[in-house]
Amino acid sequence: MTVFETREKFRKYTTPETFEKIVEYPSVSAMWKACLASYAEREAIVDNGQTRTFEQLEHDAASFRTVLRKAGLKKGDRVAVLIPNCYDFAKVLIAVTTSGMTACVLPAHLDEQPVFGCCMKFGAKALVYEPALESKTAFAAAHKPDLVLLPSSAAGAVLTPACDADAKDGCLVMFTGGTTGKSKGALLSNGAVMQGVTNGCYGTAEVFGQRYLLILPLSHVFGLIRNLLSSLYTGSTLYICRNNKDMFRDIAVFRPTILVAVPALAEMALALSRKFGKNMLGDDMKTIICGAAAVPPYLISAYKTYGITLFPGYGLTESANLVSGNPEPDEKPDSVGIPYPHQEFRIENGELWLKGANMFDCYLNDPEENENAFEDGWFRTGDLVRLDEDGFLYITGRIKEIIVLPSGENISPAEVEAKFNELPLVQDSQVFEDLDADGKHILALEVVPRMSELARIAPEAQGKALSEALDRVNRSLPSFQRVNKITVRDSDFARTPSMKIVRYHKV
Amino acid sequence: MRIGTKEERNEVFEALKDILRSADDRNPEAVENSTEETNLVTDLGLSSVSMLYLVIVMEDTFGIRFDDIGVQDFGTVGDVIDYIINKKGA
Repeated sequence: MTVFETREKFRKYTTPETFEKIVEYPSVSAMWKACLASYAEREAIVDNGQTRTFEQLEHDAASFRTVLRKAGLKKGDRVAVLIPNCYDFAKVLIAVTTSGMTACVLPAHLDEQPVFGCCMKFGAKALVYEPALESKTAFAAAHKPDLVLLPSSAAGAVLTPACDADAKDGCLVMFTGGTTGKSKGALLSNGAVMQGVTNGCYGTAEVFGQRYLLILPLSHVFGLIRNLLSSLYTGSTLYICRNNKDMFRDIAVFRPTILVAVPALAEMALALSRKFGKNMLGDDMKTIICGAAAVPPYLISAYKTYGITLFPGYGLTESANLVSGNPEPDEKPDSVGIPYPHQEFRIENGELWLKGANMFDCYLNDPEENENAFEDGWFRTGDLVRLDEDGFLYITGRIKEIIVLPSGENISPAEVEAKFNELPLVQDSQVFEDLDADGKHILALEVVPRMSELARIAPEAQGKALSEALDRVNRSLPSFQRVNKITVRDSDFARTPSMKIVRYHKV
Repeated sequence: MRIGTKEERNEVFEALKDILRSADDRNPEAVENSTEETNLVTDLGLSSVSMLYLVIVMEDTFGIRFDDIGVQDFGTVGDVIDYIINKKGA
């Protein structure tokens, strides 16, 4: 069965006036011009104590377009962007995409070698970086001398206007673990990005003129498309929270009406509200858009008591963030909702397959990954689903190797294992999701020691040497990749006929 | 060498235990049996978001402001106690 969704399904969830204002644009340029025509003097972004209107954002973007132009960059070029969440990210993103170039968005925590690797793999002609991250550009500068390096603080003396782009023109390259967990770049066209942005407007009553709080990283589609671009599209104001630990102080000042959050963050805010006996998200907060990991249904009823509606959704980097959203969370709290418009889907042996205007073009320069990702032009999500009689989707499992933690962070077991396998004392290892004695989801590691290396250490000191070495590696990993439990095996893992480790599926 | 008097450290440790219990009530035994050598990630299983919760409540409880260094820079319970005593004395 193949189903094609139209926007009519979403009409009943808002007023006729709001519904008619949700229009489709072929490109970020077209959307941005419409924003400037309607909202020029409105506050667009609040960051670090400064407020910029849409007009001011356009002025700064126009100045940066000149920087790009003077650096010899042209329409169609790819520009890597290494900037943490801040106003300059928005400025550079608008400047790059409305110059007809493709922004390759790199996570700001990447080290200098992966930064170089991404620039090479994505075919970037330039790298725009925040001055504080300049040291991360050194390796790329030394090994790719023709790479144009531009600090995000640069400004042109004259203003360069936005140019038009077609829906099929490249817009973003987003970093993802994808279906197999190997890091790669998903190329999203202008049409796909704009379909994602537009789809984010469906299913909630209040859409335009909101006050958005930005907590999620802009290097993730949920932060970039559903938070930053949705905020601009809807003439809303975006407050950039620079440090998550200050989010509740920021909320008290900015009084946001809508929050885009991963489930773990929504759970944390709820736990704090209960601890301090007040709604930590503030009395103006009316809506939480929650996704990027499985949403525990109790969150919906718990937030209801604070007058906040939490809408669960489901999406992927490859689908420009949005696949489905649940406009009836009270009635169907377990569902990830109705598939968004202009998307075709089918369910093959329980797996969700997708096609449509919001889908990515390909993984850049990764023929093997592309070969595995598509079948007859359909993108295989790797997620197992069922559909109820009202057309609502439910996620029932995954067939991917990748582990999605409650925080929404994707863990590629192979990437983490590779770090532990670098230890001479380790023969092989396996990272997997497990439940602890209390039923909590944890990341666990089992290792098979390399006996020949271990034998070089006095028997009584072997255990300590191994555990210290493992702990050192664990501490060196980004916090979300760290394992919570380490077990040392005294025998090898079970193996497939081709000698691959048989992976655990304990959760 | 740890900083602060034994009494001071005990007081902070008990308050910290309270916060750890509320940060993740699914693992009360591990918190109860924790010592200054207990690792926050590998022993208590705290996620990055639980760590964030920890910092927000610690700021409120101890009347301090954490620096912008990541909470992931703490290894053990003892490291956190050091940081708090240091901040309170500052």
